[in-house]
Amino acid sequence: MRLTDKLGAGGGSRVIGPAALVVLAALALAGCATTHEVVLSGDVLVDGPNAIANGPPRDRLLWEYRTAAAAMRVGKFDLAKQYLDDALTRLQGIYGPDPQARKARGYFHAEASKTFIGEPYERAMAYVYRGILYWMDGQPDNARACFRSAEIEDSDTEKHAYAGDWVLPDYFDGLATAKLSGDGSEAFKRAQADVKYLTLPPYDPKANVLFFFEFGPGPGKYATGRYAEQLRFSTPPSPVSSARLRIDTRDIAVAATDDVDFQATTRGGRVMDHILGNKAVFKTSTDVAGDVAIVGGAATLLADRGRNATADEVGAGLIVAGLISKAISSATTPEADTRAWDNLPHYLSFACLPLAPGPHAVTVEFLDGAGQAMPNLTKRITLDVPAGKDKVVFVSDRSVTPQNL
Amino acid sequence: MVIFMKQLKYSLSIVALAAAGLISGCASSGVRNPSGVPVTEMRPDEQGFVAGTGMESQDLVAVTDKMFRSVLATPQIANAQTVPRIVLAPVDNQTRFPINKDIFLDRIRVELNSKAKGKMIFLARERMAALEGERQLKRSGQVTASADPNRVEFEGADFLLTGKLSGLTTRTSAGTSDYILYTFQLVDARTSGIVWEDSAEIKKQGLEDAAYR
Repeated sequence: MRLTDKLGAGGGSRVIGPAALVVLAALALAGCATTHEVVLSGDVLVDGPNAIANGPPRDRLLWEYRTAAAAMRVGKFDLAKQYLDDALTRLQGIYGPDPQARKARGYFHAEASKTFIGEPYERAMAYVYRGILYWMDGQPDNARACFRSAEIEDSDTEKHAYAGDWVLPDYFDGLATAKLSGDGSEAFKRAQADVKYLTLPPYDPKANVLFFFEFGPGPGKYATGRYAEQLRFSTPPSPVSSARLRIDTRDIAVAATDDVDFQATTRGGRVMDHILGNKAVFKTSTDVAGDVAIVGGAATLLADRGRNATADEVGAGLIVAGLISKAISSATTPEADTRAWDNLPHYLSFACLPLAPGPHAVTVEFLDGAGQAMPNLTKRITLDVPAGKDKVVFVSDRSVTPQNL
Repeated sequence: MVIFMKQLKYSLSIVALAAAGLISGCASSGVRNPSGVPVTEMRPDEQGFVAGTGMESQDLVAVTDKMFRSVLATPQIANAQTVPRIVLAPVDNQTRFPINKDIFLDRIRVELNSKAKGKMIFLARERMAALEGERQLKRSGQVTASADPNRVEFEGADFLLTGKLSGLTTRTSAGTSDYILYTFQLVDARTSGIVWEDSAEIKKQGLEDAAYR
């Protein structure tokens, strides 16, 4: 599979009515296109670094997100940190004028021509992953900073009820505060208020082993509407509904606390949706105006049949104006940006427990909707719990197994 | 025939104009800095052309400059009979921005050391492992010692210098606003009394392009 990106005046090929315009436009586009071609292998850990180095710069963050998630699942945490740090640094500096974004708002450039930073749920997940990694490195306050930023990314929803309603970031915001001798009760209350059908475990200051779980395939994006101008989200049904954590001889049930699909679909309308809507109206209007002008011009020419020079000129002028209007309509690009962080999970969860320092045998079973373990997804971990500091364990249904952590 | 030729000529002119418009649309004049921006050396206390609402070098410089001047003027430091020993305790980051926390205290320490001219001594507690290793080598006779290595000479601290970064964030359709309060304290290690405290506050606001909203 080839990932090709052509950045030109039209941002891609499309069918333009008049043949002459098609040829001229094609020549024009071909002449000034900038091509980034990346051959995709299907392995994110191969494709990601390749796309980041050689792919279109506007997709850089997308590939950094994807690669970081994949790296965490194979235990390459340093690699994940490297990509997330770069992505979050860019994410924090997007304020003010941005030439790519300005282009994406124009009639003749697709939304996908802007630099990808992701929808709020994607940005929040980047912070969640980085928070986990900070805690892994013994920096709970920086982890807390990331969890707080994750909630902030989710705070500009259309309906206030869905603003900043991630559970895991709030819970660990409070836990970090409690561990740093502060009062984490407010964050705990927020987490408890947002969690559905679950009672969260109260903070245990002695809990020195923190498990972060993720499972199920996450949301994707697609576009609907006459011109694919409406962004929509779709998440395949998750074969995994929950998990079971077995440590030494203890079994702990793990239910999902966060639904990434819910976060993706409760944001509400975007400002960009209005811009794309306007583009769609413009595309329709110019198309209709073109039709009217062409038909009117042809009718004038047919009615006159060369008897009146002025009428002929008006008829021909209308046809040409109609063709131009059709060409403008054809060049208008209201399509929504459907680039997505496509290896996100559907669900997040966690468990915090006190364990004695030393080695522990851990098994994580992922369970289907009927509560049956899915043996092909079972993960085995040999855990070495250090004395005097927290041990953070990240387990995905896509993690490699066995692992020594 | 003449009329037809006239019409054709007219139509072709318009088509040519349209094509010219299309071609000009993809000229690189619409791209800002198509050749990039060369590395620009800037003072750490000035805002660069890359900016966010989080902590940046100019904030670090402004805050730490204010703090070290304030510490120097503290009577307990300025009028101390014996040179006070100070230990740095980690800064507590309560903002939403992950940072390298040591950088604040490092800069305050460096400025104090360079400007205080011996009015205070900072203890290198973060080097204790290496220092203990060196002392052990001396005690075991593997390396020479200029004084009795068995005497406890690692000094205790008179004061603890620490800080806290607190944040308040608002994000609405009008933009993002981040307020950060930087507070630093000098705590008497014997009595736990706060002998000096000062703060600095910085507020930043920004709004991303509508394409990202």
